[in-house]
Amino acid sequence: MDLSSVFFIGNIMNLERIPNEEKLSLCRRYYLGGFAFLPFLWLVNVLWFFREAFLKPTYTEQLQIKSYVKKSALGLIVWVAVLTTWITIFQHFRAQWGEVGDYLSFTIPLGTA
Amino acid sequence: MNTSDSEEDSYNERSALVQCESPTIPSYHQDHDMSLPQETDTKRGRPVSSGLDEPGLVERERAATPDGEEEELTLKYGAKHVIMLFIPVTLCMVVVVATIKSVSFYTEKTSQQLIYTPFKEDPNSVGQRLLYSLLNTIVMISVIVVMTIILVVLYKYRCYKFIHGWLILSSLMLLFWFSFMYLGEVFKTYNVAMDYPTLAMIIWNFGVVGMICIHWKGPLRLQQAYLIVISALMALIFIKYLPEWSAWVILAAISIYDLIAVLCPKGPLRMLVETAQERNEPIFPALIYSSVVVLSADERQRNEGGALAQEGVESEDDVALGGRRRCSAEEDLEEDRGVKLGLGDFIFYSVLVGKAAANGGDWNTTLACFVAILIGLCLTLLLLAIFKKALPALPISITFGLVFYFSTDNLVRPFMDSLAAHQYYI
Repeated sequence: MDLSSVFFIGNIMNLERIPNEEKLSLCRRYYLGGFAFLPFLWLVNVLWFFREAFLKPTYTEQLQIKSYVKKSALGLIVWVAVLTTWITIFQHFRAQWGEVGDYLSFTIPLGTA
Repeated sequence: MNTSDSEEDSYNERSALVQCESPTIPSYHQDHDMSLPQETDTKRGRPVSSGLDEPGLVERERAATPDGEEEELTLKYGAKHVIMLFIPVTLCMVVVVATIKSVSFYTEKTSQQLIYTPFKEDPNSVGQRLLYSLLNTIVMISVIVVMTIILVVLYKYRCYKFIHGWLILSSLMLLFWFSFMYLGEVFKTYNVAMDYPTLAMIIWNFGVVGMICIHWKGPLRLQQAYLIVISALMALIFIKYLPEWSAWVILAAISIYDLIAVLCPKGPLRMLVETAQERNEPIFPALIYSSVVVLSADERQRNEGGALAQEGVESEDDVALGGRRRCSAEEDLEEDRGVKLGLGDFIFYSVLVGKAAANGGDWNTTLACFVAILIGLCLTLLLLAIFKKALPALPISITFGLVFYFSTDNLVRPFMDSLAAHQYYI
């Protein structure tokens, strides 16, 4: 891999130009970071490393990257399910919950019950 | 709620195309952060300012190829740069105009103002209004000048940690607080019920991933998207909290200041650029908008086997991130070429177009301003290709924008209205 990416401080522009070890480290950090209630981070991880993990010719670290991508996808699906359930429950029962519903609400639609 | 401090901070950071991470002093607008070109390519022997994030700095990085080839490549990619700049600028403006047109919050004038514009305009008296808007402008510009000078001083004395910390604080505020406000207003406009837990998740995710993408490492497209969103948020805050006439005078004054600061030998931004070039160091990217274009295979081969990556637009939040030039080994000529545009430029362009959209004008005015700004941007890039050094990006575009706005509002609109009234089509 070219060394130029090493000099780059900060943002990664192009995944092509960084060495494999760094890719693995990046993938792992994104995966670990997602545990802090950050399903979006897992989504970014999956989308960003998808090509690297599944569509590229094999290299040493690819197996681990694959596992991280899969685990991130799994976590993402779990979070999506949880959030969807909660949002459905809230939207449906908000009016019925009365005071608790209002307490939980950030914005309350006008003109409806 | 007095959000002036936070706005100021982000204002400072945003507008300048300064390379170094200028600490955004709360009192200073972040937006008006002039960025310096950060990276200079010493190997080339050419000072390359990258990442100048001044409201008007557009910096072009030179390729390391011999001059003839470089000229050719320069011309070839000149058009590409223009397109690469058009898209983010357009997107930012579209977001701002869409919000202005749909969410009425940002057009409701409140009695609150930023502390940077302490004089309240009285709509009843023209003379007083004019005077107060001039005074407001003077206050704001002096704040900006002070901020920029402090930034230069801090950079000269290598207080990088301070700058970096400041930048992080200001982007934190932008990403969390302003987006929270924005989401709240959008939900109120569309009459949607939203609960605190879901909202907390959304804001938390948006903010943290934004911080990671901008200040650390993240996919390029996502980073660009975040920078556009941040610029749009900042522009919306300005549109809301700047008084009517003051906003126009401030726009004009900032373009003049930009011109002075970047081109005069003693201008703070220019000094920043030169210091960065002397030191030949990359400054940590504050907020840089960059689009990378990787050359196609045959072009790659032409360049001594090195890959030439072109950087598109880099807009840096006030602090310009040094140009992205990296040369690794001698034989591996990696060069990032690109044009860098400061986030402050994004913000002020969007403020202009947003105000044109907000002032009840029809789409004629808005579109006219939009076209004017793009034309100005093209001209600026053309000048950049000719002069090949850091240039202010604000003056030409803002001038065109202001001229187009006032003339369209006062001449074209009544004309079109009476044409329509008389059913006379041309």
